Amino acid sequence: MKASLPITRIGLTWLLVAQVLVILPHLPYLPLWIIAMWLGCAAWRIQIFRMRAEYPGRLVRIGLILAAGLGVFFSRGTLVGLEAAVVLLVAVFILKLVELRSQRDALVLILLGFFTQVTAYLFNDGMLAALYSLLPVCALLAALVGLQQSRFAERPLVPLKAAGGLLLQAIPLMLLLFLFFPRLGPLWSLPLPSDKGVTGLSDVMSPADIAELSRSGDLAFRASFEGPVPPLNQLYWRALTLERFDGRRWSQTLGAQQGPAAIWRRQGEPLRYSIVMQPSARPWLFGLDVAETSAEGVRARADFGLERRRPVERPLLYQVTSWPAALREPEGDPATLRRALQLPPQGDPRSRAWAEELKQRHAEPQQLVEALLAHFNREPFVYTLKPPPLGTDNVDAFLFDTRRGFCAHYAGAMTFVLRAAGIPARVVAGYQGGELNPSGNYVLVHQFDAHAWVEYWLPGRGWVSVDPTFQVSPSRIERGLEEALAGEQSFLEGSPLSPLRFRQLAWLNQLRLGWDNLNYGWQRWVLGYQGELQLQLVRGWFGSIDGRALGIGLVAAGAVLLALLALVLFAPWRRERDRQLRQFQVFERLLARHGVQRRKGEGARTFAERASRELPRQAAQISAFLAAFEASRYADRPAADPAKPLRALRKALPWRLRGVRG
Amino acid sequence: MLEAQVARWLARRIPPASQVRLDQRRIFILPTRAGLAFGLALVPMLLVAINYQNSLAYALTFLLLSVFLVAILHTFRNLAGLTLKAAGGAPVFLGEQAHFHFILESAGREHQAIAVGWPPLPLQVLDVPARGVCPVELHLPTEHRGWLRPGRLRVESRYPLGLLVAWSWIDLDQALLVYPHPLAGDLPLTPGQGEDEEDDGQHVLGVGADDYQGLRAYQPGDSRRRLHWKAYSRGQGLFVKEFAALAGRDLWLDLERVDGGLEQRLGMLCHWVLQFSSRGQPFGLRLGGQVLAPDVGEAHREACLRALALYGHAR
Repeated sequence: MKASLPITRIGLTWLLVAQVLVILPHLPYLPLWIIAMWLGCAAWRIQIFRMRAEYPGRLVRIGLILAAGLGVFFSRGTLVGLEAAVVLLVAVFILKLVELRSQRDALVLILLGFFTQVTAYLFNDGMLAALYSLLPVCALLAALVGLQQSRFAERPLVPLKAAGGLLLQAIPLMLLLFLFFPRLGPLWSLPLPSDKGVTGLSDVMSPADIAELSRSGDLAFRASFEGPVPPLNQLYWRALTLERFDGRRWSQTLGAQQGPAAIWRRQGEPLRYSIVMQPSARPWLFGLDVAETSAEGVRARADFGLERRRPVERPLLYQVTSWPAALREPEGDPATLRRALQLPPQGDPRSRAWAEELKQRHAEPQQLVEALLAHFNREPFVYTLKPPPLGTDNVDAFLFDTRRGFCAHYAGAMTFVLRAAGIPARVVAGYQGGELNPSGNYVLVHQFDAHAWVEYWLPGRGWVSVDPTFQVSPSRIERGLEEALAGEQSFLEGSPLSPLRFRQLAWLNQLRLGWDNLNYGWQRWVLGYQGELQLQLVRGWFGSIDGRALGIGLVAAGAVLLALLALVLFAPWRRERDRQLRQFQVFERLLARHGVQRRKGEGARTFAERASRELPRQAAQISAFLAAFEASRYADRPAADPAKPLRALRKALPWRLRGVRG
Repeated sequence: MLEAQVARWLARRIPPASQVRLDQRRIFILPTRAGLAFGLALVPMLLVAINYQNSLAYALTFLLLSVFLVAILHTFRNLAGLTLKAAGGAPVFLGEQAHFHFILESAGREHQAIAVGWPPLPLQVLDVPARGVCPVELHLPTEHRGWLRPGRLRVESRYPLGLLVAWSWIDLDQALLVYPHPLAGDLPLTPGQGEDEEDDGQHVLGVGADDYQGLRAYQPGDSRRRLHWKAYSRGQGLFVKEFAALAGRDLWLDLERVDGGLEQRLGMLCHWVLQFSSRGQPFGLRLGGQVLAPDVGEAHREACLRALALYGHAR
């Protein structure tokens, strides 16, 4: 690409098309003024091409760039961070349009376009977005081709065809690289698309938080089991424990986060499954009790939770093995148990008194727990997402006055009473149940499946999980939130248009689940194709293989693919269909290498005779070939195959030219 | 030194021929600056992919890298299979543009945006249709009289992406004669100074332009200027007006008799060769030891111009 060459009309056309296609998916993340600037720049550019306008001068250009910088600063509040950087990138991408003079500028614009497309993937990497992105990539390549074309304004589809062909032919190589190029960890940390609006569990539980979650139909994660999917009412997806109570809210403690991993004993049959988490902007992972994972950078916490070194900012795939029957901390850790007995010094006197009373009546902790559950079951407790306000001593108010609430209220109140009765207990926060997708045989867990339950500790038995909500509203556990709230209309209050609201329409629901299945596959096999999955796959195919061998294999396989493509493109076998003519061509080339060129208009016989004179030592082989060639071609005697004398001639001719024609 | 070595190597690898088919032995291929920029641009894309662990960013980076690799084949293929043939060129006068004619011929597919030329002159870009030919005319400024041998012809293709350039240097063994630049000027004519020192008697000697002798039947090779159109229009057939040059008055152009530098003198002789030829006047040419006897006609004119062009040169 010569720097000074002007831009072809087709090249410019495709460049404009490509720019529209590249910027389109960015629109939701761009301030409005950028779009106005873009339209202005495109109109200006076209006027320049039609010779109706001038290129901007140096001052104008500097002014435009400063204005764009200021615009980004004022609309984003900063010039750093990913959002601002992408807006700036798009602004430069647009401004470059007006100073587009030569092919070099066009190349810069095209490369900026590719880079802008890469940043678009950071905001949306779904299947549809990926499919769509083939359009701008194809258009950018078409612009590159258009710039090279010699003909102006003719056949605008030729560059598109060429670009499409190149893309298609590049795909096998791309797949090879994608599958086997080693994935590295991040080299340095970069700002991510901000997690504003990510819903999910937080490390502090006030009842209002969980009620908030129950209004969201967003996906939390999906889980595929290796065997059959366990019944939904047994799926208690643990995320974290809330051990500290300040009288109003339950929260995490440092001890649970930072202490050494809890000790537990394997028992029973393990469950194996994999989870693809949606970004949560939180470090914890989900799993059924007690979960083990080999995922990189993940450790087991003191409260059986799994915690990642960095928050989950991207969809994350990990493999889990759970031991539902495991004995959890049968010996008990004094520090943990101390934390599990903590209560605020004052408040909720009625509950404390009731706990004392229960303790008197039931000497065995297990009996006490059962009595408590029976109480929830027997008394007129109501499961609702719209509980009345509770005031200061909220446990008291809930247990004895209102008796209306949801999981957070029940779990919180039960833990409070157990602690007051001297039984170590804590609130577990996570998700419960999920939606089975029959087409993919996996479980979809939504935000509204967020749940809180209780676990208490018994000497020798360790931690035991119990769900007070089940006593109040069994349908919440067995059939999910929607059923439990059938009369209340509070389900998915925050998402009036969520397709989840229309689950009763069978075809629509099937469509939704099928689509989700596709997306899930995309996330697992494409987006989740990172370090561990790649290693698994590579090992599965080639056994243990070291990096060097992999690199060599990669290059070799790439070369083979290119060679195959070259064969298809050049089709050497198609050059001459006629076998005899092909043999004659070999003959000609053989002699030409030794200095005997067939002259124009020289027939086979004359040429061979001249060659015999010039190469007297090989005369016998030459005339043998001629005889065989003439016999097979003109006398139509296929038995006279010229291949043999040809081989004889090749052997008779010395390898090197020198010393032959003395 | 290096250039000479490259030239020798090229001469061995792609020997001069009036017709050259481009194949893998003759085509070289390298990334262009645009290709290097493209490669460099992939680095930040890969960094984004690594740092954000974004599979799609990886995929696009790999896709573009693969496109680059595939483009090697396409760029190469766009040039391979093309045949270049020399198609001659007419002699020119010094100072004029020399026109060389070539034919680009495609054996099979279409070849797009093929650039041909002699750098540093700009290359001419053209398309060769599938199984077709594309004539090219290339211009070269003339700087010296004598044989003009353009250097090796550069044929290159950056199509489709401009990221790679495939090229070849081809010697089509073409040469073209450059005549001296005609310079108008007074010629010290030397009438009556024939070799045979004869007296002032006048007699007819061959054909000339001085005296009208009558008509004779047209023969191929006769100048059209002297066709007798009136007779032709009367339907009497083609006749040529014959003139006679007068002996003793035949004209000699002699390099020795002209003043000035060598090129200037050759230019003046050239001018008069053209003048006399256009008038159909016989003249002789004396260039040092080389003597062309007085004559008229195209062939004589060509011979004189050729002698002038090559005066002092090897051939």
